[in-house]
Amino acid sequence: MPHYPEGTVRALLQTDLVTPATRAALEARLTAPAAYEPQFFDADTYRLLQAVAARIYPQPDRETPIALAPAVDARLLKGDADGWRYDSMPPDREAYRLGLGGINQAAEAKFQKPFLELDEAQQDSLIALLAAAEAPGENWSQLPQDRFFEEMLAELTESYYAHPLAQEEIGYVGMADVPGWQRIGLNELEPREPEGTK
Amino acid sequence: MPDEETLEEGTLTPTQPEIQDPLLREILEENDLQADPSRNPLEQPAPLPDPDEVVDCLVIGTGAGGAPLLARLAQAGRRVVALEAGVRHDPKTEFATDEKAQNFLFWNDERLSAGKNPVAFGKNNSGIGYGGSTLHYTAYTPRAHRGDLTLHTEFGEGVDWPFGIEELEPYYEELEHFMGISGPTPYPWDPGRRKGYPLAPLPLNGAAQLMERACAKLGIKTSPAANAALSARYYQEGVGWREACTNRGFCQAGCSTGAKASMDVTFLPLAEQYGAEIRLGAYVTEIERDARGHVTAVVYEQGGRTVRQRCRNLFLCAGAIETPRLLLLNELALNSGQVGKHFMAHVGMQVWGTFPEDIRPYKGIPGGLISEDTHRPKDADFVGGYLLQSIGVMPVTFATQMVRQRKLWGQPLRDYMRDYNHIAGINVLGDCLPHADNFVELSDEKDARGVAKPRVHFTAQENEQRMNRHAERTMRQIWEAAGAKDIWAFERYAHIIGTARMGTSASEAVVDPNGRAFDVPNLYICDNSVFPSALSVNPALTIMALSLRTADKFLENQKA
Repeated sequence: MPHYPEGTVRALLQTDLVTPATRAALEARLTAPAAYEPQFFDADTYRLLQAVAARIYPQPDRETPIALAPAVDARLLKGDADGWRYDSMPPDREAYRLGLGGINQAAEAKFQKPFLELDEAQQDSLIALLAAAEAPGENWSQLPQDRFFEEMLAELTESYYAHPLAQEEIGYVGMADVPGWQRIGLNELEPREPEGTK
Repeated sequence: MPDEETLEEGTLTPTQPEIQDPLLREILEENDLQADPSRNPLEQPAPLPDPDEVVDCLVIGTGAGGAPLLARLAQAGRRVVALEAGVRHDPKTEFATDEKAQNFLFWNDERLSAGKNPVAFGKNNSGIGYGGSTLHYTAYTPRAHRGDLTLHTEFGEGVDWPFGIEELEPYYEELEHFMGISGPTPYPWDPGRRKGYPLAPLPLNGAAQLMERACAKLGIKTSPAANAALSARYYQEGVGWREACTNRGFCQAGCSTGAKASMDVTFLPLAEQYGAEIRLGAYVTEIERDARGHVTAVVYEQGGRTVRQRCRNLFLCAGAIETPRLLLLNELALNSGQVGKHFMAHVGMQVWGTFPEDIRPYKGIPGGLISEDTHRPKDADFVGGYLLQSIGVMPVTFATQMVRQRKLWGQPLRDYMRDYNHIAGINVLGDCLPHADNFVELSDEKDARGVAKPRVHFTAQENEQRMNRHAERTMRQIWEAAGAKDIWAFERYAHIIGTARMGTSASEAVVDPNGRAFDVPNLYICDNSVFPSALSVNPALTIMALSLRTADKFLENQKA
């Protein structure tokens, strides 16, 4: 799998290859303050969400990881939807409350400790159970585990890959489109497209 | 929505828990502005419409169903008004090349998705704003085939359309030339066309070249596809010169250059040039009738005001979910029992693979290459057929649907996504048979306006499953021949079709072959809801063709 140089997207944002609207969207994520006070979740539940997000998107390579929990908290507070919901799922706020509670129930059942007190390997074993829809916990009788995992995974993924640093990681520079793209065929790169190294 | 008590555990009680609906919140914010216009001098409230005025034609929705007929009726000198729930954007300054920032293009009011194959809405198929879903359609514009309209005659299953392809062909021609569609001439799977495409095809990107190469090995014929995006600058009446596509690959999250023929750069400015009035932020709640059952007026919410607009004729063009939702809420045109019934969604299986080549899936028109050799496959064990296309994809869209399918997490997820620039996809677009188990209804759950949310039931039936298997097999062969590793398939369903079907009998259809409601003589319906069958091609071009035809039939009928 290729590795791309760091700083590509950040450098492009300083140029006129990016429109003002595009720059505004990306820079807002890049410069979001590290400290975030949850407004929808209480402090403990928010820390639990952060811990789960850190196992789904582990970032040992980053001094300051891309924060994924703030967008969830902010969305639930505002009540934003994305146009649909599985009919088998409760409304989003209820789903997160039940789902995060269920993760703690699974932690207690397997390790007799809350999720936050487990080591990474133990936490990963619980995420694996959740992904396989095999985690224990009474909340799962009210919430389909596979759908909850899918929805949470998709939401965290949207936040992660919308971030300029994650876009640098995968070599995406599609935001630098002011001049358009002339070299679009196989193996055709333009000078502003970074090359990956194995 | 959770009540206060269930919220206590684990969450703070939000300050305004009742407002889960972003559209409503926007309106409330607008109200605040209007209460004190000095806060926003650029957005003074529009004058209230004259309550006594009766317009000839009132159109609900400005997408592919509403916009063409709006222009046609205005050009014929009618007093026409369109109501659009969303607002108007300036794509050049407001559209970001950023998927998340473009979420305002999608109809994000929550719909409940039920059945064994719950359909994704929002960005998958539903739009809002001046131009409706065409603001984010892929611009893939193949014509329907003759046989798509006669499934029942050919197979004894599904339903026939009440007219043949001859009725649509003149409109296809007109649309291709009006919008400046780029495509191959002659068209390989329909070489006898009277007129070719006005512009040459768009260039092929990496995924298209891979598919072309592999299909050549396998003996599958391919061609650059017809796309409603300009391969050269083009003069647009009511707009001026539209510039050629710059290959920015972002069609599904909004074209910022005007190269894509969405309604905001084609039919809507034309309609306005001929005097059509388009009211934005107008969310329709009621359709009023007189004692005879004729529509007399529409009531809508706009900027916190409730407005009534009287009309002689109503054109309902709100799409295959909101159209039946409005009919059901207003108990209108329900005599056939067909409103909301026979919801269809195209078989849209995708197959992805990882290649040694550099692909950069964000460049070029997404649907570059097409094959229609699978329109009636010789070894088919199903009714109907499908088309094959190469696909480009933006990273957030790709990553979110990939995790839904593969459930990757942790380091393997980040590792897989590092190969984004080496991943290419193909997908199919296949017919779907109408089935009694697939339908739209009003749920007991209310949105923040107090209006019942729609619940959409969809289960892929035996025919769709057979087509899925055939399509997956074919696409895996193609991707193996192209040299892909780590091939995986994503079963999905695209487009929303049916729910207010067109037919010849008032007991079996909602609208007649001219688009007029059997029960309500001055109500016309024109969008994907009237399709009797789903077709084996993307629906946008056919919706527009029906829209022009509906306007012409209406005008003919008025003369008579």
